Amino acid sequence: MTHDSSDVADVAPGQPMIELHQISKWFEDFQALREVSLDVTSGERVVVCGPSGSGKSTMIRCINRLERHDSGRIVVDGIELTDDMKNITAVRREVGMVFQQFNLFPHLTVLDNLMLAPMKARKMSKKEARELAMLYLERVHIPEQAAKYPSQLSGGQQQRVAIARSLCMRPRIMLFDEPTSALDPEMIKEVLDTMVELAEDGMTMIVVTHEMGFARTVANNMVFMDAGEIVETAAPEVFFSSPESERTKTFLSQILIH
Amino acid sequence: MTAPSDTAVRRSGRITRIPWFDGLQFFLLVGGLIYLAVAGASAFNYNWQWYRIPRLLYREVDGEFMLGPLIDGLFVTFELSAWALPLSIAVGLITALLRRSDSFAGRYLASGYLQVIRNTPILVQVYIFYFVVAPIFGLSPFWACILALSFHEGSFTAEIFRSGIESVPKGQWEASDSIGLTRYEKYRHIVLPQAVPLMLPPLTGQVVTLIKHSSILSAVAIFDLTTMALDLIAETFMAFEIWLTTGAIYIVVTGTLSIVVGLFEVRIRRRGAR
Amino acid sequence: MSNAEPMTRARPPARRRLKVTLLDAVLIVAAVAFVAYLVYRVNAYLVYHWDWGRLLQYFFYYDPDQDQWVANLLIEGLLITARTSLWAMVFASIFGLVMGLCRVSHVALFRMIARGYVEFVRNMPPVPFLFILFFFVGNQLLKPLELTELAQAAPPYVQDVIVLLFGELNLLRNFSAAVIALALYEGAYITEIVRAGLLSIERGQWEAGDSLGLSRTSQLRYVILPQAVQRIAPPLANQFIQLIKDSALVSLISIQELTFMGNEIAVSTTRFFETWLIVAAMYFGVCYGLARLFARMERRMNRGRM
Ligand SMILES: Nc1ncnc2c1ncn2[C@@H]1O[C@H](COP(=O)(O)OP(=O)(O)OP(=O)(O)O)[C@@H](O)[C@H]1O
Ligand SMILES: [Mg+2]
Repeated sequence: MTHDSSDVADVAPGQPMIELHQISKWFEDFQALREVSLDVTSGERVVVCGPSGSGKSTMIRCINRLERHDSGRIVVDGIELTDDMKNITAVRREVGMVFQQFNLFPHLTVLDNLMLAPMKARKMSKKEARELAMLYLERVHIPEQAAKYPSQLSGGQQQRVAIARSLCMRPRIMLFDEPTSALDPEMIKEVLDTMVELAEDGMTMIVVTHEMGFARTVANNMVFMDAGEIVETAAPEVFFSSPESERTKTFLSQILIH
Repeated sequence: MTAPSDTAVRRSGRITRIPWFDGLQFFLLVGGLIYLAVAGASAFNYNWQWYRIPRLLYREVDGEFMLGPLIDGLFVTFELSAWALPLSIAVGLITALLRRSDSFAGRYLASGYLQVIRNTPILVQVYIFYFVVAPIFGLSPFWACILALSFHEGSFTAEIFRSGIESVPKGQWEASDSIGLTRYEKYRHIVLPQAVPLMLPPLTGQVVTLIKHSSILSAVAIFDLTTMALDLIAETFMAFEIWLTTGAIYIVVTGTLSIVVGLFEVRIRRRGAR
Repeated sequence: MSNAEPMTRARPPARRRLKVTLLDAVLIVAAVAFVAYLVYRVNAYLVYHWDWGRLLQYFFYYDPDQDQWVANLLIEGLLITARTSLWAMVFASIFGLVMGLCRVSHVALFRMIARGYVEFVRNMPPVPFLFILFFFVGNQLLKPLELTELAQAAPPYVQDVIVLLFGELNLLRNFSAAVIALALYEGAYITEIVRAGLLSIERGQWEAGDSLGLSRTSQLRYVILPQAVQRIAPPLANQFIQLIKDSALVSLISIQELTFMGNEIAVSTTRFFETWLIVAAMYFGVCYGLARLFARMERRMNRGRM
């Protein structure tokens, strides 16, 4: 990697970045998370998998408070998530998120999508923001699309813009919620490649995905969830060759048969 | 998505361009209906006195041009609507914002107001403003009527604001949150730019609704177009001529406005579909 | 962390702490101040003496001759409102269904007629509309029918039924004209509801009908309408509530429904405040109650389908 990576990993590797401590989450009477605990250290890359409805999205959405957890503690980069809006905003500026459906702002050009948060939330000047935006557009290899509107891009390009938009906030942590599952097969690779590059730069990442090839190359840690619980956490070598739990084995046998 | 859209119609090919032949049939039909009405009236010896109608629109006295009572009434209708429009937009905007606020008192107030307005007839609301609110606060009849209209229409504008804001997809709100925008920035840069184009056509359409509903104010003493018509009929007994004239005036005004709103809507939709 | 037993814990006690924001405080203070000012104006400035008891007799009064309680103007008015609304709804639904089908017809003429009808009503203020139609329908269509004479010629038990369904015999023509005028007004809105319901059915359903060689009528009758009915029912129920509210307007053409009675009572007792508040509360009770009922029925219907 030849990229300038000064903006990520300015924290010593191994320092705790995210601590989830016995968090639970209910939707009405349905418990979506059951006392989930997870520690992520700086520079770590965690891949989360599990069957549909197991609570993967809910868990990572709690980390930047798109969902409010009902009990337990969440500490992100030393800031505890409470109802205090100041803390929530602070955490959201540390944490970037990439959605399955991209969620680009359709009324803004690609460039404006990228410049908005740096200008508004980080109070950058327009010039700085534009330079920053172009830097990240180059990094996701689509600087030539800057003036277009999101609807004029392919799905893979849109998702790369979304990644760039998050990076413009210079987050220390990136969350990905099934970033490739809304994409046509031929576009998946370009997005995964971007994510691999990001990982090589030392970004702390939590990725919900079923792309097991990506998981093998990138993850330091695999997390398997089922029915609102973390069933198993293991290094990828162990996770794929000799998972402990029956549920993990069943799941892996289903998704690795292609 | 269950709402039908024009594209749905077009796609299913059920709306075709109107051939001139059908247009002709339509006009023949309308003409026939009018003929039947007139013939029916003549059949029981209705004494048509159309020649007296122009005097109700304008007069020339000693070479001086004067507006007739119907046109005076139309101006009162305009005046009422012109005051009630901004007021109803303000009421609707405040209601919509309170409903989305953190404040439980605000939410209760807003939904209480909406329930009361939505579940009582506008005519009774007018009576309440005219016979109850006005004496208590010492309002003039004119302002009692404007307030009645504004609070009634406010419930519609509140709904326009609400549905406009809620039509912005959930992902847009989440994406704004995830890049750390504050609530103000989120509305200012993400939500409103997408919601306002959707809200503008129905908001301008409110003008038509206001003019229509202002006719209900004729139930109390306010000299709008409908009241003028009722008074003139009581004086002259030309019920058919005066109602048809009044109806035509209303249709010309609201119809023109509707067409303008329609064009506006098409333009906004075209601009939206980049 | 490989605990295979799903932990079943009760939901923690809902922590919906009532947070009082600054806006709450401001609004509560403003509301209290407003109510205080209101009370001050009524009591100290207008020196108004409320007399709710006087109006109770307008619900029911005790008739010594018959030795029983008899419904008075307010209850009578409410019944006439109900009668007017129900009949108007029946006719409005018929107009709406026919015009709604015209609205999606293949025949341009039908589409134009339906469109013209809808646009006319949409652009015509309700009061002139009701007056015009009341005059035309009453004088031109119904007069030659001589409804009252017809009814009076009927045997007494038939007359009883007619009175129950349509009200006093001598007011029959007025009542019918008002109902039809109101129904034509609301029918335009129902036309649009029916149209929206028909168009909401996916194009594939029509195509499937085509591919089976069904005629357009059969497609409508067996494929489209049965599906559309479920989507039409909820807005139609709301339109009924709207119709009840709009029925207040026929008080202006001297149909003696609730609002008309309210006017009578207010003028004869000069208790304007109490009368209009009571009338408003009665409408609110009916409309709000129906709205809740319809919402519950809709929920049940949706659940049944899943
Ligand atoms: N807003 C919500 N309201 C009610 N229930 C919800 C809500 N969001 C999620 N759930 C429920 O919580 C459970 C976990 O959902 P979540 O989206 O976290 O699953 P997931 O593991 O991400 O699944 P998928 O792979 O399908 O995305 C599911 O059963 C879902 O139905
Ligand atoms: Mg998910």
